[in-house]
Order: sequence, then structure tokens, then C-alpha cells
Amino acid sequence: MATQDDDTLTGPVPDADAEPTPAELAHARRFSELIDKTLAGRTPPAMSADDRALLEVATVIRATRGSLELAPARQRAVVEDALRQAIGAAPSASGSVSPIARARARRWAPWALAGASGLVAAAALALIWLRPADPGRRPVPVEWTSRSADALIGPISRDHAGDASARIDAIFADRLDGFRTRRLRGGKP
Amino acid sequence: MRSVIPGLVLAALGIAACSGDRDPAAARSVTRVSDPSDAPGRFDLIDQDLLVALAQAKNFHHKAKVYMTDGNLTAATASVRQILSLAFPRGAPEADDVRNDARALLAKLLVSQNQLDEAARTIDEGLAQSQRESFFVANLYTVQGEIHQARAEVLAAAGDPSKASASDERRQAIASYDRSIQINERLQKKLMEEP
Repeated sequence: MATQDDDTLTGPVPDADAEPTPAELAHARRFSELIDKTLAGRTPPAMSADDRALLEVATVIRATRGSLELAPARQRAVVEDALRQAIGAAPSASGSVSPIARARARRWAPWALAGASGLVAAAALALIWLRPADPGRRPVPVEWTSRSADALIGPISRDHAGDASARIDAIFADRLDGFRTRRLRGGKP
Repeated sequence: MRSVIPGLVLAALGIAACSGDRDPAAARSVTRVSDPSDAPGRFDLIDQDLLVALAQAKNFHHKAKVYMTDGNLTAATASVRQILSLAFPRGAPEADDVRNDARALLAKLLVSQNQLDEAARTIDEGLAQSQRESFFVANLYTVQGEIHQARAEVLAAAGDPSKASASDERRQAIASYDRSIQINERLQKKLMEEP
């Protein structure tokens, strides 16, 4: 596709009032056809470096003027997707339109997580502060509790150092008595 | 990503707050030995596990007593030893008392079988595992004194020329008895002061 006019960009700039040469006219016509093909989505696979540079400039100029429009079929697809999501249906497989709900969820998820965690922490702290006294620390008759047998047995004389059998009998009887009393009263002092 | 960090921090705080709300008994370490907080003032109620352990200890003592009456000291010793491996509820003060009492009897049985070193070891183990003073710990010191006295007699009977070892054992026996007396006095004073 290279032509003799490929020096258009690098050659001398012609006078603005000068009449276009046939070669320039031919080049302009060919370039306009190239632009038309590009707009129609039929960009030639190969072209000269100058034509490609000019085509890129033309595309940028067109885009900055805001005259770009989606193809009717594409426009319909986008609108259809948006409406489908608005009524709660799944978007089409193309996934071109990001679901509004998902976008919102993504934005609010960290704050929702932070809020929920904060609530859990606050609830746990409130539970600690407001809960009733630990039943294990509630004053109960000492007879009901597991405790040292010192008060029951007293000092052990040397003569009775080996009388462990008698002492265990006393300890067992005392603890059984405390256990039964508590059970009979339903565990209430 | 930065907005996720406050959430994670708050979640960690929540978990930490929840973890603080645990049963103190459940939070107690399995390997924790009894300490002064296990002494009077604890409010763990007597439960079936404690009664079962006490009943088993009682039965082993009775069994040992029958063996002793029969003159079978070896079987009596074995029966008393089984008390040391009974499973008591964690932190129950009675566990320390029952085990110490069993050790005292075990040591006396070993002394009667001339196993003085084993008897001394039994007492030392009991004293090492006791975390609070009690009349049962005082009793261990009493038996320890008896062991030192028995050793002194053995040394004297063996005709030790220097007599230093026997005399040393007697001194240690006196020290053990003194320790026992001191503990008993402290505990009695404490019990008298309690309402």
C-alpha cells in the first residue's frame, strides 16, 4: 500500500493558497475512503505509516468532539442489561454492565464488616459488665463447697499419724452430708 | 484494602472480649497444681466426681487396713499407693489432703518394712507437690521425723564409729518435728481467727 505520497508528513509544507496538486487530491480522496472504512469497522489490515499516523489523529479528534456512538445493537444490549438488573434478574453473560448492587456491596462490605464486628465486641463487653454475678462466687454455705479438710480434721498427733483410714471416713461423711443437703434444698442457700 | 483493616481490628476485639467470658474453672490449666486460691475461699461446690474420688480413697484405705490386720504389708502398701493415682476434680483442696494422708501412711508402711529410703522419697514427693500448708503437710513432716529417727537407730545399731551420721539423723528428726509443730500452730491460730 506504500505510495509515492508517503512523504506527506515529512515533506515541505505547501502554501495555504496554493492549488492542490492532482497527487494531493488523490491522496486526500484515498485518505477519506480510509477514514470511512475505519468508521464502518473495516479498517484495512495494512497501510502506510503516514496514513496510520493521520488515521490515529483523525480518530482522536473525532472522539474528543463527543460524536462517538455505540452501535444500535450494542446500545440495546446495554439498556437490556441495566433493566434486567433493576428488576433483580441476573445480567447477561456478556457482563458488560457491572451490577449496581454488586458495586454497592463491594463499597460497603468493609464498613459492614467493621460495624458488625464492633457490635459483637460491644455486645460481649456489655455481657461481661451486665451479667449477674458468677454462680460459683455467689455466697453459698461453706458446707456445700469443696475445701480443705483442715477445719474438719484438726491437728494430727504423732500417735495418729497413720490413721488415714479414720480421717478419710470423716472427710467422706462430711462432704456427702454437704452434697445431700444442697441437693435436698435444690441448690439454693 | 485499607478500609478492611478497621473491620479486622474490631473483629479481633470482639473475639478477645468473647474469650474473656469463660468459666474460670474451665480456663484453669490442666497442669496447674493447687495453690493458695484453692484453699478456703474457693466456691466450687461439692459434686459427684469429688464424692466418687473420696469414696474410692476410703475403700482403698479400708482394704489396706484389712491387709495390715492380716500382716500382709506388701498388699497394704500397694492398696495405699492406688490412692495416689485417683482422679479428683481439678483444683479440689481435698485431693491434696487425701494424697498427703495416703503418703504419710505409705511412708509408715515402708518404714515398717525397713524401706527407709523409699519412705523418705515418698514424703519428699508429697512435700514438693504441696502448695499450701495444712495439718496433712504437718503430718508429713511428723512422719519425716520418724524416718530420720529410724535411720539414726539403724546407724547406731550398725555401730558407726564416728556416731556423726546417727547424730545428724537425730538433728534432722528434731527439725522435721519442729516444722510440723510450727505448721500446726500457724493453722490452729488461723482457724481460731476465722469467724
